[in-house]
Amino acid sequence: MKRTMNRVILPAVVLMLAVLAAAPVLAAVQVVATLPDLGSVVRYVGGDDVALQVLCPGEMDPHYLPAKPSLARKLAKADLLIYNGLELEVGWLPQLINKARNPDIRPGSRGAVDCSAAIDDLLEVPGANVDRSEGDVHPLGNPHYTLDPRRMVKVAKYVAERLARIDPGHGQAYRERADIFAREVAARLPEWESVTATARQDPIIIYHRNWAYLVDWLQLSVVGEIEHRPGIAPSPRHVEEVIVAGRDLGHLLVLAASWDHRHVAEEVAERAGGVLVVVPAQSGGKGGPADYFSLIDTICRDLAAGARKAEE
Amino acid sequence: MTFKAILSAVACCLLLAAAPLARAQGGASSTATGISRLMNPSLSLNALLLGQVSRDIPTKAANQVDLQELEAQFAAVVDPFWTARVIVAMHPEPGADGIVLEVEKAMAEYRNAPRGFGLRVGKDHLDFGKHNPLHTHALPFVYAPLGITAFLGDEVMAATGVEVAWNAPLPWWAELKIYATNAAAEVLDPESRDLAYGARLSNLWDTSDYSTLELGFSGLTGPGAARADLPAGRWNMYGADLTWKWVSASRTGGPAVNFTNEVLLPDPEFNLGDPLGFYSHLQYRFARQWWLGLGASVARDALNEDGATGESPLHTLRQVKANVTLTPSEFSAIRFEVHYDEEKDGDFRDLGAYVQVNFTMGSHPAHSY
Repeated sequence: MKRTMNRVILPAVVLMLAVLAAAPVLAAVQVVATLPDLGSVVRYVGGDDVALQVLCPGEMDPHYLPAKPSLARKLAKADLLIYNGLELEVGWLPQLINKARNPDIRPGSRGAVDCSAAIDDLLEVPGANVDRSEGDVHPLGNPHYTLDPRRMVKVAKYVAERLARIDPGHGQAYRERADIFAREVAARLPEWESVTATARQDPIIIYHRNWAYLVDWLQLSVVGEIEHRPGIAPSPRHVEEVIVAGRDLGHLLVLAASWDHRHVAEEVAERAGGVLVVVPAQSGGKGGPADYFSLIDTICRDLAAGARKAEE
Repeated sequence: MTFKAILSAVACCLLLAAAPLARAQGGASSTATGISRLMNPSLSLNALLLGQVSRDIPTKAANQVDLQELEAQFAAVVDPFWTARVIVAMHPEPGADGIVLEVEKAMAEYRNAPRGFGLRVGKDHLDFGKHNPLHTHALPFVYAPLGITAFLGDEVMAATGVEVAWNAPLPWWAELKIYATNAAAEVLDPESRDLAYGARLSNLWDTSDYSTLELGFSGLTGPGAARADLPAGRWNMYGADLTWKWVSASRTGGPAVNFTNEVLLPDPEFNLGDPLGFYSHLQYRFARQWWLGLGASVARDALNEDGATGESPLHTLRQVKANVTLTPSEFSAIRFEVHYDEEKDGDFRDLGAYVQVNFTMGSHPAHSY
């Protein structure tokens, strides 16, 4: 009995302990990204060195993601939490972090990565007198910077540094992939800007200010907003004002996200004599753009198609 | 004016004064003054105003317009070790002169517990069932369902103690909470030196990308509330709840459904009748800003408020209710509601109508899923 113990059980126990001890070393860095576009960048920068999960489905407006405890399960084992910041996820991320009970990703810890820290040229940062008469404004600035590929280059480099900090062994690989991402963006920018050349000269009515950074990048000419106070349904009177403002401008485009209320956008486009362009505002989701580059491709292509239709 | 009312008024003034005082300090250095707003807790105030009329109950309490509740909430990270939240609620007390001030929550949560574990100390709503942890302004109807209030009392069960939570490593979301508190909760005996003990196990599955099914089990035991007409004894209660939620992914503010069912099985040591509480709530968002609510509730063999003065100390109550809620934003709502309550095989019945206005100022943390 004692011999069996020595020859079989002890080596088995030692082997099991060795496997368990080695497991964390072998495992990829566990990363959770709140948004699909951030996830796309992490996938690009992290490659096979990270295991990625994304919280918000592509077709869901990230302002209103339900804080399902099942999402907290994904956070429970995360080494790194990559989030948008600027209070975009304030309605659900704090609850999920609390539910996850993972001290490694609490705000302020090494594993909590607020990507807005990489953006040094935020738009629509309200002054000290901001209040909710302006709707559900984001008091730290417009958080939708992911729709500008130039700013996403900054995010990619920031993510690479934060990955390198937690996984120094692959630090060089992360930085190199972030550089490749930057070069890919730089290579595609002229094409995206060229494709949208006509749309950039057309007047545009946007549904929600989530397009602010796209507008800033492509220098679109916004003449109105259907949802002029964020988070507040537009009143019939305001919709009428937007229609009047857009009418007779010629070649008018109405830009809405796939989750916006289409019938309102349709009414504005129809009565103002414009063309409705409904595009996904983030990658992922069923039938949606597979990754970040596909997303920007889709938005630019559909804007261009809308501009062509407006000219007809 | 009673001492409590004066105290309440002073507390209100202090709470409301805190914000402008902090703002006035602006970016001034705290080195010289020793006062800084930079570390102030986030502060929010929620007010519930209620107008109600009753066809069958002639009392002023059932036919009036009044403040239903005012809730002040403070939340902050205390230090590298603790996060804390304090809620002070103020509401008119039926039969009392003035407004009652109540500390509903004064709770600190340890930030550095090992992965999967949580530790909370302080006063909080007991984690029993689905309904008890809700704050008044988060209730899906104007009042808690009869199947709950008949056994847990009109107020939520809140008590001071310690709670340990654990996320069980199962293929679905499973959370176990175990707590020990004093017996200050309304249905228990606050004079008792004995503690109350409770546990809750929540399980949640994704039934699709946009829907979930939650199944919870709860248990609680503590010293029973002293009533002259009843024998003393330990008060035990068990509960189960089943909730299905669905939200449309395709449209912001699109259709959504919350369907919650909860059953309570009080099992007091003195064993009167066969008590059971039950409610079923259905909420449906039928337009971006509009919710429809339907509810039904039963309290079987609940204790008569008048004790043994009637023929039987027990009675069975039934309730149905419906409401429509307009939510212009996340920070305000107006609700129109009707209730019909009746006592089975008894004389009591009541048809009531309610209008409730709900608004929130400041930085109010999002409510639980």
